[in-house]
Amino acid sequence: MNGYNFAYLDEQTKRMIRRGLLKAVAIPGYQVPFGGREMPMPYGWGTGGVQLTASILGADDILKVIDQGADDTTNAVSIRHFFQRVAGVETTTATIAADVIQTRHRIPETPLRSGQILVFQVPIPEPLRFIEPSEQETRLMHALEEYGVMHVKLYEDIARYGHIATTYAYPVKVDDRYVMDPSPIPKFDNPKLNDSPALMLFGAGREKRLYAIPPYTRVESLDFEDHPFEIQSWEENCALCGSDHSYLDEVITDDKGGRMFVCSDTDYCQTRRGEVA
Amino acid sequence: MENRMTTEKDTSLDLAAWPALADPIHDSQRCFRQVLGALSEPGKRQTLTPFQGSPPHLGVALWGTLLALCDLETRVWIGADLDSASLRQALTFHTGARLVDDPALADFALLTPESFDPATPFAMGSDIYPDRSTTLLVVVETLVNQLGWRLSGPGIAESRDLNIGDSAGCQALMKRLGANRASFPCGIDAIFGAGDQLAAIPRSTRIAGGPSRPTAATEVN
Repeated sequence: MNGYNFAYLDEQTKRMIRRGLLKAVAIPGYQVPFGGREMPMPYGWGTGGVQLTASILGADDILKVIDQGADDTTNAVSIRHFFQRVAGVETTTATIAADVIQTRHRIPETPLRSGQILVFQVPIPEPLRFIEPSEQETRLMHALEEYGVMHVKLYEDIARYGHIATTYAYPVKVDDRYVMDPSPIPKFDNPKLNDSPALMLFGAGREKRLYAIPPYTRVESLDFEDHPFEIQSWEENCALCGSDHSYLDEVITDDKGGRMFVCSDTDYCQTRRGEVA
Repeated sequence: MENRMTTEKDTSLDLAAWPALADPIHDSQRCFRQVLGALSEPGKRQTLTPFQGSPPHLGVALWGTLLALCDLETRVWIGADLDSASLRQALTFHTGARLVDDPALADFALLTPESFDPATPFAMGSDIYPDRSTTLLVVVETLVNQLGWRLSGPGIAESRDLNIGDSAGCQALMKRLGANRASFPCGIDAIFGAGDQLAAIPRSTRIAGGPSRPTAATEVN
């Protein structure tokens, strides 16, 4: 911790991000520009999420970091160590024990509670970006609530594949106003965004945007009357804990076609197996 | 040398009345989290106790909010009835914030419901950048969660009552905040402070009723 301010960022930067966060919760789903700083990790490793976490984190907060649901993968381990080192905060892998959870591409299976803050790492915050490359244009489209093209994109899926083939970063509409990219979480997690008791913050470091979903906010996944939104399901149960309702990762076990399906949320899986007392 | 510096800077700034945060890093983090909690759950009261002392007319909650959020990048507008040389001096001394006379330029506006004029042209942001708006910091006498305006919308599970007083000024202010819905996403957010109590109404909140409304639900019970 020597040589750094608490939680790495200087106070001036934290204040700038904090003021941005207050605007973000006041305008749910709107992308607030902020002066993103260079962090001691490359873009794509969660610099946006790290800057938000650094700005909100307090000395008595308990931090959990997950990467695709797992506490023990590279990105999660390195960010957790980073905050242990620069903020000296207590960390945990237990979802229920955490005050702040920084996440890459998953929402924990364990229901979140009031008072918790979930910080998402976002690569491309603009849901319309692959349709319209110009930032000026997409800002105008948000201002005019011009979201028809988003439905066209989903419709093209149906025309080509017979169903909506978008499986992650599935666009949502927040409080019936802004169309928002929920970050590359599987669409399996989209229903957890709706009416959640926890505050959800999103940070994109390279694009220098942050946005938020306050607790108890209506978040709808875009769909059609005749093609309603559906989440993924599996025929298998988790090979480790037997769960039939969590998001499963397929793990290749040998080179003879052997495979197994396991929970992507390691804390949830271990808790179910009774490994965490 | 030091003596001369002191004499030159010998002003009326009363550091007991306008205290700094004892632990600037952690105290401002705590204040911020309370303000974040207030704005993400509109109407829910937070208690801020960043320091001992009572800044004249402001209350510790709003003074703590100012200290936590203001710096040389922020512009603050001060309403006539709160304006004083000592406040201006204290705010500039502690935060370096720039004080402006034009409300349209202000990031934060400090006011009371009594001095609130709905015609004051606070910044509301633009359709493209709705975040470029003024946040009101309102000093109120009371802040209770009963028999007030009925709030709903993002951050509120069903509805929440918030009463900031029923003076004409309070009515006008809440009417103005209620009008935010029509201009959304443009609008102004408000943070209320009464002593060490803090609550907020962002522009996303729907506001109904008022303290003088017939409280049908209560009467039935």
